Amino acid sequence: MSSSVIYEAFWVGLKEALKAGLVWIVLFSFLQVIDRKKLSGFFLYGILLALICPLYVFTLPVTPQLKELISRSIDTSFALFFILSAFLLAHGSGMNLLGAIERAFGKTVIAAPVLLLLSALYFAPDFAGNSVFLMELAEVKESPAAVYISATAGIVFGLAAFYAARKKIRVDFIGSFFGLPQLFLFIAMIKLLGGGIKGFSGISLIPSVQTGFMKFFHDFVHQVFVILMVPDHPLLKTTAWNFIGILFGPNFSSVAALAALLAIPMLFLSHSFLGPVPEPEAETPADRRKIKGLFMSDRKRKAVSVLLFVIFIVVAWFSESGENISKLYIPKPRPVVEDKGTVMIPLKDPTMDVRDGALYKFSLSYRGEEMRILVIKKDDGKLSVCLDACEICPPRGYGQKQGFVVCIYCNTPIPVATLGQPGGCNPIPLHVLIDDNFIRIDVSEILQKWDYVKSGKGKESVK
Amino acid sequence: MAFIKLDSASKIYETAQALRGVDLEVEQGQWLNIVGPSGSGKSTLLNVIGGLDSLSSGNVVIDGAEITGLSEDAMAVFRRERIGFVFQQAHLIPYLNAVENVMLSQYFHSMSDEDEAIEALKRVGLGHRLTHRPSQLSGGEQQRVCIARALINSPKLLLADEPTGNLDRENTRIILELLKKLHQEEHFTIILVTHDPFVSQWGQRIITMEDGKIKCDEFICYL
Repeated sequence: MSSSVIYEAFWVGLKEALKAGLVWIVLFSFLQVIDRKKLSGFFLYGILLALICPLYVFTLPVTPQLKELISRSIDTSFALFFILSAFLLAHGSGMNLLGAIERAFGKTVIAAPVLLLLSALYFAPDFAGNSVFLMELAEVKESPAAVYISATAGIVFGLAAFYAARKKIRVDFIGSFFGLPQLFLFIAMIKLLGGGIKGFSGISLIPSVQTGFMKFFHDFVHQVFVILMVPDHPLLKTTAWNFIGILFGPNFSSVAALAALLAIPMLFLSHSFLGPVPEPEAETPADRRKIKGLFMSDRKRKAVSVLLFVIFIVVAWFSESGENISKLYIPKPRPVVEDKGTVMIPLKDPTMDVRDGALYKFSLSYRGEEMRILVIKKDDGKLSVCLDACEICPPRGYGQKQGFVVCIYCNTPIPVATLGQPGGCNPIPLHVLIDDNFIRIDVSEILQKWDYVKSGKGKESVK
Repeated sequence: MAFIKLDSASKIYETAQALRGVDLEVEQGQWLNIVGPSGSGKSTLLNVIGGLDSLSSGNVVIDGAEITGLSEDAMAVFRRERIGFVFQQAHLIPYLNAVENVMLSQYFHSMSDEDEAIEALKRVGLGHRLTHRPSQLSGGEQQRVCIARALINSPKLLLADEPTGNLDRENTRIILELLKKLHQEEHFTIILVTHDPFVSQWGQRIITMEDGKIKCDEFICYL
């Protein structure tokens, strides 16, 4: 156990150093080829800026909220680079999206601070996340200093490996494979592969995008019903919703996620391999062929990293598709009892704290009937208390996944921030009183709403 | 400045010295024939100019570039972009037709262009033999494919080592007429090695090699 902690700390340090080294080589090669080598210093300043994050994190207590924040920052950081890359790839595919911006970035006064900022944004979340991980490792180990020394050794070892290999690295050759969009895409891919807090799978792209699509399709369908003023729930029975639900189920959204991630890279690849080649002006036909040949081979070289990304995404899609989304946190319901027409749920006891951000479920047995209630804290700090059932599906309840509660029956994700809204796939909200120690719920309301959920009739009246 | 300049060029093999301090200057667009008995060093001189062989001492400058110290890769680039070769043997790829043999040269230079290759073959009078393989072509026709192949990448220098050595007089005349026409049109430099007195009269200058040295250098009337 002890040696595995030291090994993990070393691995964390080594991974970060290797990642920084790899990104540095690719970026430096790119800047060398476009004759902007002087900008590379700002990348290093960005890393130094990012180091502020772990220094700050070391002063904080490790809480689930902190870990969630860092995890989201890593996702956001990746998304930033992916979106930048997709934008530039679209630009490179013939759509002139940049115009004046492209000229502006030719000036060092603009390019340098942007590079510094991007560098900091790229590394800061990972550095912070790994600092938290090291702090947790240090708590396990009897001598915490050994953990930090081991991590530092990993960093030194990784950087030394790059320093030793620096003369073998063919900067011009590497740089010839990258334009700006390919550079962003490649370092986004490095982040995806090695950007997790612990190992290689700390960040998962496909399920995140998939969840987004599920939410989008779900909201879209409901919004259409609202616009058309269709009283959806009384008209459409559960079987009908099962068909409509295909749209916001995991399979459809999984394919949509793949299509969304690959659309622009595929457009770029198609442009690279099949797009027209301009006829250059040249003294002789051989010179014309030479210019065209150089143009085409350059275009193909610059498609390599995009092709790698496409292959990576397809492999990830096949291996992850729909898998992570089904990994829900489903807590076991804790029994509560009715007292004088009221159910009282304690806010805190030695085994739980309903304000810690996790999903809590409670079960009430009343007159031979078992009903479930869910409680979860929202980002704004308020508690949301609902039945563990919606108006549409059979009452299988909800599980928790990142910032969502997900219907176990139809897999529809509901953002935690929106809990409390009635209708559709939302958990049915309850009116509650919350004091310093308890959540108080009127049993009659629970009984009335659960009865309709159970029978599936007259759902409109539930509202 | 001379297009080709050899300065004290010497080549020593294990058992013999092929070139002995040759000094030579050739102007851009000139047609130079090298003649001499077997073993006089004429093919060695041609190979040294074409970067197919290296000097033991001295240096060679072609079109302002000193090729003596070039690496193998750089030499390969230099050859494919600036020099065309025609040898006594055709060295055509037997399973490719005439157009494809010419396109192969384009491919190694940059990229292939079938229309341009067809046009090049038409210029050497083989418009009716485009899809014929080497085995279906006569010796003279094969040499014409070689000329099209050598000139397809617009070289500034054409090196020909006994290009008519395997041909009868009629075909020799056809090849030389063709070279003359192309030379007048495109003004590239030709260095041609031959032991045939008839062939040596086609050109603007003859140097006679003997025992690794230039024995005689004369300018002649361009036939």
